[in-house]
Amino acid sequence: MKKYLEIAKAYMKTQLIWRWDTFIDVVLAMAKVIFAWILWSILFEGKEQIAGMGFYTMISYYIISSYLFQLDKSSEISQQMTNMLRNGTFSKYMVIPVHTQAYFVAMAAGKIVFSACICFFTTILCFYFSGISFVAAINIKILFCGAIMIALGLLFMAELNYFLGILTLKFEEISTFLMIKDNFSAFVTGAVVPLALLPEWMLSGMRYLPFYYVTYLPSMLLIGKQG
Amino acid sequence: MEIIQTENLTKRYKRYKKQEGLMGSMKGLFHREYEEKTAVDAFNMTVNKGEFVGLIGPNGAGKTTLVKMLTGIIAPTEGTIQVMGYYPNKLEKAFKQQYAVVMGQKSQLFFELTTEDTLKLFQQIYNIPEDQYKKNKNFFVDLFQVKDLMNVQVRNLSLGERMKMELIVALLHNPKILFLDEPTIGLDAVASRQIRTFLKDVNESKGTTILLTSHYMEDIKVLCKCSIVMNHGRKLYDGNTDLLFEQYQKSKKMTIYFENNADSGIPESCRILEKTKDKLVLEIPKEITEKVLEFYIGHYSIRDIGIEEEEIGSVVERIYREV
Ligand SMILES: Nc1ncnc2c1ncn2[C@@H]1O[C@H](COP(=O)(O)OP(=O)(O)O)[C@@H](O)[C@H]1O
Ligand SMILES: [Mg+2]
Repeated sequence: MKKYLEIAKAYMKTQLIWRWDTFIDVVLAMAKVIFAWILWSILFEGKEQIAGMGFYTMISYYIISSYLFQLDKSSEISQQMTNMLRNGTFSKYMVIPVHTQAYFVAMAAGKIVFSACICFFTTILCFYFSGISFVAAINIKILFCGAIMIALGLLFMAELNYFLGILTLKFEEISTFLMIKDNFSAFVTGAVVPLALLPEWMLSGMRYLPFYYVTYLPSMLLIGKQG
Repeated sequence: MEIIQTENLTKRYKRYKKQEGLMGSMKGLFHREYEEKTAVDAFNMTVNKGEFVGLIGPNGAGKTTLVKMLTGIIAPTEGTIQVMGYYPNKLEKAFKQQYAVVMGQKSQLFFELTTEDTLKLFQQIYNIPEDQYKKNKNFFVDLFQVKDLMNVQVRNLSLGERMKMELIVALLHNPKILFLDEPTIGLDAVASRQIRTFLKDVNESKGTTILLTSHYMEDIKVLCKCSIVMNHGRKLYDGNTDLLFEQYQKSKKMTIYFENNADSGIPESCRILEKTKDKLVLEIPKEITEKVLEFYIGHYSIRDIGIEEEEIGSVVERIYREV
């Protein structure tokens, strides 16, 4: 176990070098919230609530879900794996005494811990500038449940990407799979629009997909709406 | 005692035969034709504990494929293989704990981190006790004299320096066997020489069995008592390195840089390989190397002169001609 902790630590350190990347991450997250603000202030014109959410709740949703979306570094796993499998450098993980899958999960975890800290700061800023009080909505129990759900969701995404990466061995070219996965997961995790806006039958279908629990449900929990 | 043994070891790759043009690519989506390529062909080899064996052959000979099978990265198509009593492709943890592999182009280092960081990570990965870790690290760092490079980000190291670091990382857990696939590729003469000296030292002082592949004759001449020559997946020679050079190494390559534009004469029985305004590359029979050297030094003003071993290609050709 300790070796995987060390692997996570090593990758966290590598993240520290790329301050530029992190900066872009932060800017993108902010931009998304600002866009949501503009878009939804138009849509909320003359309305009190949409899909059971008020304007400020909606914005909180975007702030939190974009934070969670940032955390998901798992698409790098499949990206890196295909590249390595194709140019033959993947073997470097086969010759050292580690469990490859665990290695990649530890890698993603290391990167997540880093961006979790940086983006946490951004999120606080967003809440501060938008004047929304987030604290009102939470209690310890919800926070705890949310945290567990987020951890499991991220683990699921890491595993999913590992298996997609492995597909390279069979199909050589998996960029199409990856594109489908990225678009699909951006949609079904609720990173683009809150799933609550979808028709009930679609929503109930999505409850059976693990994606539902990655971003959407924890975001709803944290803004005080049980999705 | 045999530490590596293969019998009839064969690897056939299936290569996807890409058809020409867009139509061809489209067809390839549904129906693929494969062609087979035998990279290693009925290969028998034995390596004893503590030996330093050179595996030499031109590009495409199958050296990397052989090393990949020995380290378990790929499974053989046919034949038997045994490394320290294990079947490599099972990739058992106990097996991986006991060897190391360094491939010229593939790095185990983290480019964003320092070597020191990577070493700490590998200490955990291989479960190395603190005192052994310290002892080994100091031993290798002293041997290579790279103390001041340990805390430099790996991306800022030169290729030669990086290879040294790569070797230190690989040797940290005291592997019984070290596989090296073209470790000197792309390195300059000085760095290659340092790497060779280091490897010789490790082999002698730690008793590490080393299997080194290369397509430079120079590498195996200095290092390996025993050599295996291969081409097209087959073994051409297996035995004493000195004997190999005596039997099949008939000439040397001499490169001369003249001080000024000298149109020099060429001694008899030498062949010109390359000639420019101030540079001359000759192939000379190895018995008269000294005489030719004296001739040039005596008659011309020379800026630099170098003698190298003949290229592996010519040696392979000669072996073919004899058998
Ligand atoms: N993954 C692969 N698929 C198909 N053919 C391969 C593959 N790897 C190597 N080969 C072929 O096998 C032969 C031996 O390659 P290799 O072992 O890399 O030679 P060397 O290391 O001696 O240069 C070459 O002809 C090469 O084209
Ligand atoms: Mg090779």
